[in-house]
Amino acid sequence: MLACMGLMFTVLASCVESKKVAGKSGAELWADNCQRCHNIPSPVTFNSEQWKTLGMHMQSRALLTHNEREKVVAFLQSQAH
Amino acid sequence: MAQDSLAEATPDASASLTVPESSESHFMVVGLVTFGFVNQNTTTTLGGIKTTDKTNSLGDADRFELSPMFLWRHGNNMLIEFEPSYNGSTIGVNWADVSYFIAPGFIARAGYLTLPFGIYTKRLAAGWINKLASDPIGVDMAGSDFGVELEGGFPLGSMKWSYDVSLSNGFQLNNYGTISGVGIVAANNGKTFCGRLALLPFANSSLEVGVSALYGSLAAAPGATFTNTDITNTKGPSVNMYAADINFVKNINPIQLNIKGQYSMSAVNTMNYVNPTDSTQKYSFTNNVSSAFAQVSVRPVQAQNKVLKNLELAYRYVTYQSPQNSTWGQNYTESDIALDYWLSWRTVVKVAYENINASGTSSVALTGTQGTSLVNRMIIQFSTEF
Repeated sequence: MLACMGLMFTVLASCVESKKVAGKSGAELWADNCQRCHNIPSPVTFNSEQWKTLGMHMQSRALLTHNEREKVVAFLQSQAH
Repeated sequence: MAQDSLAEATPDASASLTVPESSESHFMVVGLVTFGFVNQNTTTTLGGIKTTDKTNSLGDADRFELSPMFLWRHGNNMLIEFEPSYNGSTIGVNWADVSYFIAPGFIARAGYLTLPFGIYTKRLAAGWINKLASDPIGVDMAGSDFGVELEGGFPLGSMKWSYDVSLSNGFQLNNYGTISGVGIVAANNGKTFCGRLALLPFANSSLEVGVSALYGSLAAAPGATFTNTDITNTKGPSVNMYAADINFVKNINPIQLNIKGQYSMSAVNTMNYVNPTDSTQKYSFTNNVSSAFAQVSVRPVQAQNKVLKNLELAYRYVTYQSPQNSTWGQNYTESDIALDYWLSWRTVVKVAYENINASGTSSVALTGTQGTSLVNRMIIQFSTEF
């Protein structure tokens, strides 16, 4: 059972981005992903700490990849007040 | 308010990223409020007699909502979410859970969860996200439950995919064949498994397609009197649900095209129920429920005119069928149209019209009559995230 779970985790974790996707900036990912559900949020709406917390909430809602969340949150934090 | 409008949300994408260090824990409150006005005309035909009822409700009786959401981040891996909700008559809870971000692509959650069934309930139901004024009927058939969940998203070359699975206490079967959640104390040993798989085939994430499934054994509600149709079968009833959803958002200069849809169905084993008008008699029916909606909206986001670019026109068609020959069967269709004006990226005023046709398909032998109803609503609704 543990071996199966280990194998599953290994397979899932081996999913990789293409160069095209890996080269996307946080700003591009912010535009691509937020509008899937709602309007694109203004980065000045929340401060840096709030964006980090909201990034976790939004990752679990929209099922962003780990890299997407990291890049989007970094971008929003860089633009936040 | 205009300061954070979509039009002005255009920061310098080439700016260097200077990310401040983060604190160990952080607490914040966001949330949403939705209220409005509804003028409703209802024409009911029952036993050949037609009656008309007109109401004007401030606060918008069916759609009022005030839901603060409390988020507490503990370190980099733990998030606690709690969203109570007041709907004008009761205070409920939309979700109350703790999530642990185990590793990239693996988020574990426990508590009171929105089950991963379809796309609408978990992502699109908030008034400031919903393009129309109402929620589609029947779309929330899985609802929320107490349980555990594992979810995540992964890249797949230029595509990506996501999974979301849960194990929860599940449902009980009520008299007359409806189902409802058992709550925090399970009524039997059975658990309900629910899951959704989704694929986003394009690198810009413009298209998402998802499929969902749910299976659970059903506990008998307290006082329930139903029995198996086959008396030699001692196995209890169960429910299967399936859903398929699609979400497509694409900017085609000068408009943004937004298409969303979901089909959901639920099937419960056929059982014998006690006739409500004659307790010495039993009846059964095929206990299937289906619900579907399709919506399209367009917004001229690249228009030069500031008023025009904040307008969005939306249309939705909804269909819902509950079991024929039950006590609660109906065929239901709804057409909704709305003109939305976005005051900011998260604040909207909607002017909507809804037309609903419903006809009863319940057994005349059980309920005495079958009726039809025609509802026309005009709604002015305000919704914002705060």
